[in-house]
Amino acid sequence: MLEVSNIDVYHGDLKALWNISFQLNEGEVVALIGSNGAGKSTLLETIAGLLIPAAGSVVFDGIRLDRKPSQRIVQLGVSLVPEDKGIFPYMSVLENLELGAFNKRGRRLKDETLKLVYGLFPILKDRGSQPAGTLSGGEQQMLAVGKGLLSRPKLLMLDEPSMGLAPLVIRNIFEAIYQINRIGVSILLVEQNVRIALSIANRAYIIENGRIVHHGDSKNLLTDEKVRHAYLGTLSI
Amino acid sequence: MFKFLAQTFVNGINVGALYGLAAVGLSLIFGVMRILNVAHGEFLMIGGYIGFWLFTLYGLDPFMGLPLVAIFLFLFGAVFYKVVFARVARFHEELKLKNSLLIGFGLYLIFPQIAMVLWTSDERAISPVYSGKAFGILGLRFGYVPLGGILVALIVIIALQLFLTKTYFGKSLRGTAENWKAAKLSGIDIDRTFMITFGLGISLAGLAGVLIGLIQELTPVMGIPWTLKALVVVVLAGMGSIGGAFIAGLILGIVEAVSAIFMGPYTIAIGMLIFLIILMVRPQGLFGRT
Repeated sequence: MLEVSNIDVYHGDLKALWNISFQLNEGEVVALIGSNGAGKSTLLETIAGLLIPAAGSVVFDGIRLDRKPSQRIVQLGVSLVPEDKGIFPYMSVLENLELGAFNKRGRRLKDETLKLVYGLFPILKDRGSQPAGTLSGGEQQMLAVGKGLLSRPKLLMLDEPSMGLAPLVIRNIFEAIYQINRIGVSILLVEQNVRIALSIANRAYIIENGRIVHHGDSKNLLTDEKVRHAYLGTLSI
Repeated sequence: MFKFLAQTFVNGINVGALYGLAAVGLSLIFGVMRILNVAHGEFLMIGGYIGFWLFTLYGLDPFMGLPLVAIFLFLFGAVFYKVVFARVARFHEELKLKNSLLIGFGLYLIFPQIAMVLWTSDERAISPVYSGKAFGILGLRFGYVPLGGILVALIVIIALQLFLTKTYFGKSLRGTAENWKAAKLSGIDIDRTFMITFGLGISLAGLAGVLIGLIQELTPVMGIPWTLKALVVVVLAGMGSIGGAFIAGLILGIVEAVSAIFMGPYTIAIGMLIFLIILMVRPQGLFGRT
């Protein structure tokens, strides 16, 4: 479904991604894990069209995404919930969700998707008229995921949805992500919280210094000595 | 004395409504695009002259001609954005602001020259038969033309507010103003949003220009004082606050009119004084967000 081949990405003169290749099959949850500054967010932003790769290609459902404007990419069914949540702080919660549905497909299915989102996060319905900036961190993350869903993506990309949140809220959000995947939306997940990422993902890629250094099924990675040592904080004696 | 003050007040509202209208366009463009269009007054001047042309060449009533001026200036602004500002708008914030300022100053130098060729440097006025006519209530004089100006300004501001809060496209404009990256990720075409915003802002300036031409003379160099007035109003209101800009315009108009009683020609300093005090004491403006 998503095929990223040999992409190089620069931030100005600085090379951030080196020859990255990976794929995601329809219906999968794939996690990208790695430490801070490894290039995970850069990779998602490149797929979403905010950055243009210097080399390589990004293909989604047989269509080249690289060099397409981001609104086209949303229209094609790829939606990114960025690390800073990408919400409009002075607009109401409902207006945020409405803008999430800005593309044609999203607008047509808006009422139906709203029901779905309110089912996942009932609090968003209660807070509908409140400015988004006044929500708590957890509620803002729920709004961000809900807003991403309103574009009716086939692939939903989530950048650090657990960041800065209490464990209970994290569980709540990951339960929702699981539900979203169940209704047929593929998920590409960037996480520093490796344990929770691997608990939900089918497969994972490990990125270090802008390169993919390891990949495999989540089950195998959880028991992999190197991964345990580097990312799960368990000493291997 | 009371009657005199009340009459001054009424006159202040007349001018203030036009300040507000001119400022709203500037505020809209800055709020959404982060481009400070210092040639705003020049676009206003062009709008005024187009209204003048429609009136003198085709005998079109200046108020009836307003929709035509609005449409023409909208298209002019949109094309202008595509040709001149579209590349600049893609730069990051600081570079965008700097370069757009330079472009604006360039336009401020060029436009009056073009206007002199097209309309000469003679003072022009749009004077339909009813200009200067007035009716009285409680001994106060209400001119038809200034009253029409206030009415048009009010209708335009309310329509703009409804557009921004009730329509899908208007909401996308506000979203872009708050967080352009999030707007992009929501599937909003930023380039198109910028083009329409610029067209709208210029169109508002053009409308103000015609209404000004009804109560003052039009000259090729009238632009910069109006840019400054609009800037004072926008700073007073807070950058990006649409309704606030209109109210701040009224405030400035009234304050200027009343202070003219005591200060005569030095009134012009009042606007600048407000500008400085607000920048020092409340930089986010009266209606702005911190």
